Amino acid sequence: MNRRIIHLVFYILPLPVILASLFIGPSHTATLGSIMDLFLKNSDDSDLIKSIIFDVRLPRILLSFLVGGSLAISGCSIQAIFRNPLTDSYILGLSSGAAFGAALALAYAFLPVQLSAFIFGLMAVALSYFTARKNKNVSIVSLILSGIIVSGIFTALLTIVQFFSDPFKLQSIVHWTMGNLHNANWVKLRSSVIPITIGVFVIFVYRWRLNVLALGDDEAKTVGINPERDKIIILIAATLASSSAVAVAGIIGLYGLMVPHMIRMVTGPDNQKSIPLNFLFGGTFLLIIDDFSRTISSFEIPIGVFTMLLGAPFFIYLMKKTNIGWNS
Amino acid sequence: MEQLNNAITVSNLSFSYNGSVILNDLNIDIKPGKLTFILGQNGSGKSTFLKVIAGLLVSQKGVIKILGNASDNLNFTDRSKLTGFLNQHHKAIFPFSVEDVVLTGRAGFIRYVPKEADKTASYNAMSKAGVLHLRNRNYTELSGGEQQMVMIARLLAQNPQILLLDEPTTHLDISNQSHVLSLLKQLVSEGMTIVAVMHDPNLAFLYGDDFLFMKNRKIIRADESMQAWDTDFLKTIYEGNIQSIPFNGRALLVPYLN
Repeated sequence: MNRRIIHLVFYILPLPVILASLFIGPSHTATLGSIMDLFLKNSDDSDLIKSIIFDVRLPRILLSFLVGGSLAISGCSIQAIFRNPLTDSYILGLSSGAAFGAALALAYAFLPVQLSAFIFGLMAVALSYFTARKNKNVSIVSLILSGIIVSGIFTALLTIVQFFSDPFKLQSIVHWTMGNLHNANWVKLRSSVIPITIGVFVIFVYRWRLNVLALGDDEAKTVGINPERDKIIILIAATLASSSAVAVAGIIGLYGLMVPHMIRMVTGPDNQKSIPLNFLFGGTFLLIIDDFSRTISSFEIPIGVFTMLLGAPFFIYLMKKTNIGWNS
Repeated sequence: MEQLNNAITVSNLSFSYNGSVILNDLNIDIKPGKLTFILGQNGSGKSTFLKVIAGLLVSQKGVIKILGNASDNLNFTDRSKLTGFLNQHHKAIFPFSVEDVVLTGRAGFIRYVPKEADKTASYNAMSKAGVLHLRNRNYTELSGGEQQMVMIARLLAQNPQILLLDEPTTHLDISNQSHVLSLLKQLVSEGMTIVAVMHDPNLAFLYGDDFLFMKNRKIIRADESMQAWDTDFLKTIYEGNIQSIPFNGRALLVPYLN
C-alpha cells in the first residue's frame, strides 16, 4: 500500500516540478511575483520576462527532463541486458565515445552532431563488450574494467580534438564535456527530441522482455526469446537515446546507474514497472538537480559535477552489496 | 505418424567443442509419455546431449526431430512450445520476485507485456509445483531446492510437450528430491514426456520408465534381453566395481570394494 502511494507520487511528480522550475533562475526580473503580474497586467518588463520564460527557461527545463529521462531509461535497460547492476552508459564508455563523436562533429562539421555521437557511442559499446568478453561470458568486473579503458581511449581522442580546435570552438567543447545544460535552447531540444523519443519508445516496448533477458541467455532462448537479436535492438535504442543526450548536454556521469537503483527501491526489479518510472523520475530528478545547480551559487556549476558526486557513493554502496566475481 | 512412435528422434548426431569430439554419431529415439533418464559417468557428455536437443548448442552433423519437426527449422518461439529446459545451475543477478521469474516462462506467448491469461497460467504453475507460498519472495533469497522448484514452476507455466531437465535433483536434499520426483511422475501420468539427465543412478532406477547411457561419446540402451540395472550391463558403463542390490523388483547400486 505504501509502495502504491510512492508509485503514484512518482507518476505525478513531473508536473509540479516542471511548473516550479519555470520560476527558478538567477534573473531578478523573472521572479514569481513579476511572472504573476505578467498574466494579470502588462508591465514594462513583460517582453523580457516572456523571453526569459519561453526562450531560456522552458527549453532548458524540457531538455533537462528529456536528458535525465533518457539517461535513466538507457541505464536501466543496459543493466538488464548485461545482467550487471553496476553499469550504465557512462561506465560502458558509451558517453565518452558519444562525446568524442559530438566534439569531432562540432570541430570539423563533417557529420550532424547527433549522428556522429551515435556512431561513436555505438563503437564504444561494441569495443567495451568485445574487450570484456571471454569464453562467451562477460563478467561484471571485466565489463567495468573494459569500460574504463574504452572511456580512457575516447577521452584521450577528445583531448586531441580539443588541441586542434580553434579557441572559440574549444571553449564550447570544454564547457559541454563537463555536462552542462546552461546552453539549452529550442534548437538543441529539436535536434535531440526525435532520437531520444525513438530510443525511449523502443525500450518502453521491450520493458517486460528485459525481465526475460535479465535471467540469462539460456533461460531466454528456451522460453522462446532470441536474446542476441533482442539485446542488439535494445542496445541500439539505448545508445541512440543516451548518445543524443550526450550530444546536447555533455557527459552527465553515473546518472544512468543511480536512478534505476532508486526506482528499484520503489518498484522492485520488475522492469515492466520500473522502465516508465525511470523515464519520468529520471527526468524529474535531473530537473531538480539542475534547479539547484543554477541557484546554489552566483555562477553555474556544471550538472555533471553534481551527478558524479551523488552517483559515486551509490556505486561504492552497490559494489559492496553486489557479489561481483571475476568470472560471473 | 512419426510423432506417435517417438517424441524425439536423433540420427547420426555429432558434436564437437573446441576441436574435441563430445558426441559421435549418435542414434537414439525417445518415447513419448515416459520418464526417460540419461545416465553415465561425469564428463560423458550427458548435459551436452540435452543442450543439443534443447537447441542451446548446435550440432555439426546429424538430424534431430522433435515431435516430427526437424530441429534445425525451429525458431526459438516454435521450439518453446515443444521443449522446455531446466539448467543445472542458474545464477540470478537481480532479486526478481518468484512470481516474476515464473511469469517469464510465458515469454513464447507474450508479444509485449503479459496478459491476465499469462498471470493465471503462472499462478496455476506455481500452485502445481508447490511454490505458491513463495510467490512474493525474492528468488535470490531462496534455498537451492526452492530455486529449483521455482524454475520447474517456470517450465510448467511455459507448458511445453517435452521437458528436458539437466540434473533436476542433484543439489537437493532428500525431501526435495522426493518432492521433485513425485511431481515428475505426476506430470508423466498426465501425458508429459520428460527426459532428465541424472547423476544418481539409484534415483533413476527407482522411478524411471526408460534409461539411456552415455559411454565413449555414444548413447546406448540396454539390450532387450537384460534390464538396465543388471550388474553385467552396468559394469560396461561405469568403471570400477559396483554391486546391485535387488529392491522393489528393480535394483539399487552401491560401490563394491574388494
